[in-house]
Amino acid sequence: MEKLKTGIAWLILIFFAIITIYPFIYMILGGLMSFQETTIIPPTLVPKHFNWSNYTQVFKQAPFAQYFINTLIVATTTTVVSLFTSLLGAFALVNLKFKGKKTIEVLLLSLLMVPGEAIIFTNYNTIAQMGLLNTYLGLVLPFLTSIFYMYYLRSYFGSISDTIYKASMIDGASDWNYIWRILVPMSKGGLFTVGLLSFISGWNSFLWPLLVTNEDSMRLLNNGLTAFASDAGSQTQLQLAAATLTVLPILIIYFIFRKQIIRGVVRNDLKG
Amino acid sequence: MNQENFVEVKNLRKVYDNGHVALEDVSFSVKKGDLVCLLGPSGCGKTTMLNMLAGLLSPTSGDILFGGKSVVKVAPKDRQIGYVFQNYALYPHMTVLENVMFPLTVGKNKKTKAEAKKIAEKYMQLTQITELASQKPGSLSGGQQQRVAITRALVQEPKILLMDEPLSNLDARLRLKIREEIRTLVKEVGITTLFVTHDQEEALSIGDQIILFNQGFIQQDGSGQSFYLDPVNQFVANFIGNPVINNFEVNLQNGKLTNEAFQLDFANDIAAGDYTMSIRPENLEIKEDGPIKADVFDIELIGREKIVKVKINGEQYRVLTDLTVDVAAGQQVNLAVKGQKFFLFDRSGKRVF
Amino acid sequence: MKTNQKKAWLFLAPTIILSAVFSIWPIFRALTMSFQGGPLINLTFNGISNYQYIFSDPEFWTAMKNTIIYSIFAVPVALMISVMLSWFMYSKLKNSSFFETTFFMPYVTSTVAIGIVFRYIFNGDYGMLNFILRFLHLPAPSWIDDPSMSLITLIIFGVWTSLAFDIVILMGALRNIDPSFYEIADMYGATSREQFWRITIPQLVPTLAFLLTMNIIGAFKIYTQVYALFNGQAGVGNSASTAVFYIYNKFQIAGTPGVAMAATVVLFLVIMFTTFLQRKLMKKVGDY
Repeated sequence: MEKLKTGIAWLILIFFAIITIYPFIYMILGGLMSFQETTIIPPTLVPKHFNWSNYTQVFKQAPFAQYFINTLIVATTTTVVSLFTSLLGAFALVNLKFKGKKTIEVLLLSLLMVPGEAIIFTNYNTIAQMGLLNTYLGLVLPFLTSIFYMYYLRSYFGSISDTIYKASMIDGASDWNYIWRILVPMSKGGLFTVGLLSFISGWNSFLWPLLVTNEDSMRLLNNGLTAFASDAGSQTQLQLAAATLTVLPILIIYFIFRKQIIRGVVRNDLKG
Repeated sequence: MNQENFVEVKNLRKVYDNGHVALEDVSFSVKKGDLVCLLGPSGCGKTTMLNMLAGLLSPTSGDILFGGKSVVKVAPKDRQIGYVFQNYALYPHMTVLENVMFPLTVGKNKKTKAEAKKIAEKYMQLTQITELASQKPGSLSGGQQQRVAITRALVQEPKILLMDEPLSNLDARLRLKIREEIRTLVKEVGITTLFVTHDQEEALSIGDQIILFNQGFIQQDGSGQSFYLDPVNQFVANFIGNPVINNFEVNLQNGKLTNEAFQLDFANDIAAGDYTMSIRPENLEIKEDGPIKADVFDIELIGREKIVKVKINGEQYRVLTDLTVDVAAGQQVNLAVKGQKFFLFDRSGKRVF
Repeated sequence: MKTNQKKAWLFLAPTIILSAVFSIWPIFRALTMSFQGGPLINLTFNGISNYQYIFSDPEFWTAMKNTIIYSIFAVPVALMISVMLSWFMYSKLKNSSFFETTFFMPYVTSTVAIGIVFRYIFNGDYGMLNFILRFLHLPAPSWIDDPSMSLITLIIFGVWTSLAFDIVILMGALRNIDPSFYEIADMYGATSREQFWRITIPQLVPTLAFLLTMNIIGAFKIYTQVYALFNGQAGVGNSASTAVFYIYNKFQIAGTPGVAMAATVVLFLVIMFTTFLQRKLMKKVGDY
């Protein structure tokens, strides 16, 4: 009886695992099929031969290399800068005493509840007025700090005994010394996780770049992809190849650092 | 430079933001080269005192002088102090050598790497941690971490060494060993040391001077011996000494100290009234014709002496005797006070005799 | 220390300045714009007419209705499946991370890209889903092109994308349950079914409450899924329009930012209200 139950549990797990993985496999393999193979009934699972030429076709039809570079620049910049600014903020909140600390904490914390979708359109307006549409700066500016990551790091830094900070003060270290020689090396794991999560969300961002860019040369992968999907019409295999181009880099990062990423997400959200 | 008042604290007061008064009004001075113990129960303000000496906290009012100069406005790093934390506060991501070198590689008086290494190694030799150089603090024992922390504090060649309960994380046997090592070391280096502890035995055994804190005030300031033989008030008498002192509620009238259990002759010109009579366990003896009747209910051996636990009029008291004294639980004995070796405290706790 | 004051603000300055410009200011700006008419470059005060407009706009109500239906169905279904899968993983194979790694994949991947893939899986003629349904002699509807199906399609896609987060959080919560609870239950002879309902579920209540409200708030903001699945449209004939989609269309396509901002304010209030309920609920759950 117990064995049967275990068997059923396994079957259900495997069933859902297939449902989860299948779209990825279909995307990768479909991107290597010929057009006929993608639309035939019964559906093709594995293409007869890999049509690598689909990718040449994709690069020919749309500037994916440019999208790729844009996305890399934007995701990297937001990650590095927001990590830096939220690191400084978190340090101040953890280690420094100052008037108005409680007030600023409550204020920033309540901003966490503001849904991004409610302010994104007015932010578009701000960026437009600054004349930053279709610029890298416009793409990254609102995301150069993250209150969310600041609080995440604050909980990380808060677990370091405050005598370590006091010891460094007595040892003659300035705050700047403390941050770079003690705080950062001691929190490498946390910073790395935050960096990964930030990079992934930067890579996958969609609505904001959709608003602030309309020139092809400034598009990010996701926007380029949707535009391409409309333009390429019914060329299914090309759309799937383009989708693969967008997803694969993140999937590779994910498989390498899955432990840190999953742990980071769990820690993030249980703290609320 | 003034040798007698090398460290001087004047009317220091500290009120925390939440309104808690940690120190009411504290003044004391420390002689250059002395090892001074700041003693007191937890929450008495001794760690607050140390933090203000270090500059980690600023006083609400009052002044602190090092070598005659006020340091209240001086940043911790410029006070020429070393500090050993209760939890050692070693940087876990650095090796022992890097930890010790750290103070020499930051701030104004930065040394070159080679120089820093040389100085660090010199002090590591002194504290005998040379062979631990490449290890990380996480892999060290408590005693080793302790030594690394002290080395890191000494490497800047500070004028004053501050230690906050440096032995409390060690097991009992190691504590005895290390406290002697610390005394030897600081005497060898010749550094003025302020040492916070809640353990009166520790303070008595290593302190040249002891300052006892309670409830934000200094209760007594002096040599260990004076604390034991000459406590200024009830709190000091109770706090110092192991086993703890015996207290009897007595009434003084017509040259006689009277208690429900005994009556003692005491010719003195102290005003008549109610007092607390405090007798150290070793100043009570079992004597055939002793005036105090007591029931022995337990005996505790502590090596070359034993503690005889007795009940007098239902209250528990302790008598410290030789092993040779023949006494067993269940016996009734008579006790006498040796000479006039007792203290009298009035109702406010002030000593009158 | 007094010297800390200035320094602290200096360290916080980048965050405070950016937050002021891109988080605080837009809230007030959205509020004022919701009372203004005309194009972005020439906004004029027009009272509450934007609000009157959206409340009498059937499109707005469709969008709100769709958003609510989506939240009511997608969120609990995803949560139930997640609880089942996490429990199986936790109780049958504690230390294997294979399934967890698999189930979490959708969380890190671009919704847009995977939406394109689903568009083909859902394809009425040659998609894999309908091939299987026909094989099993089940009805094979036109998932994408039939307006009456588009909301259901969106819900299925939504469940697929949200399993990842739910499962990972639930696994974290399951691992936090003191294993001795189960050991004691074993000693008393409790079956695994009893253990699940009498130990696991009560222990998971705070996490479930957290996920439920987080997901509902997330569902109110759904946009990218729709865009990707229906190729930039909100389904055939706007049949799968959602609140954010409505806002986007009014703002960017129809060029009526005032109307868009009025809808934003309404959405904002709904979300804040839900967040408020969440706090209440979490407090209550926390009292256990």
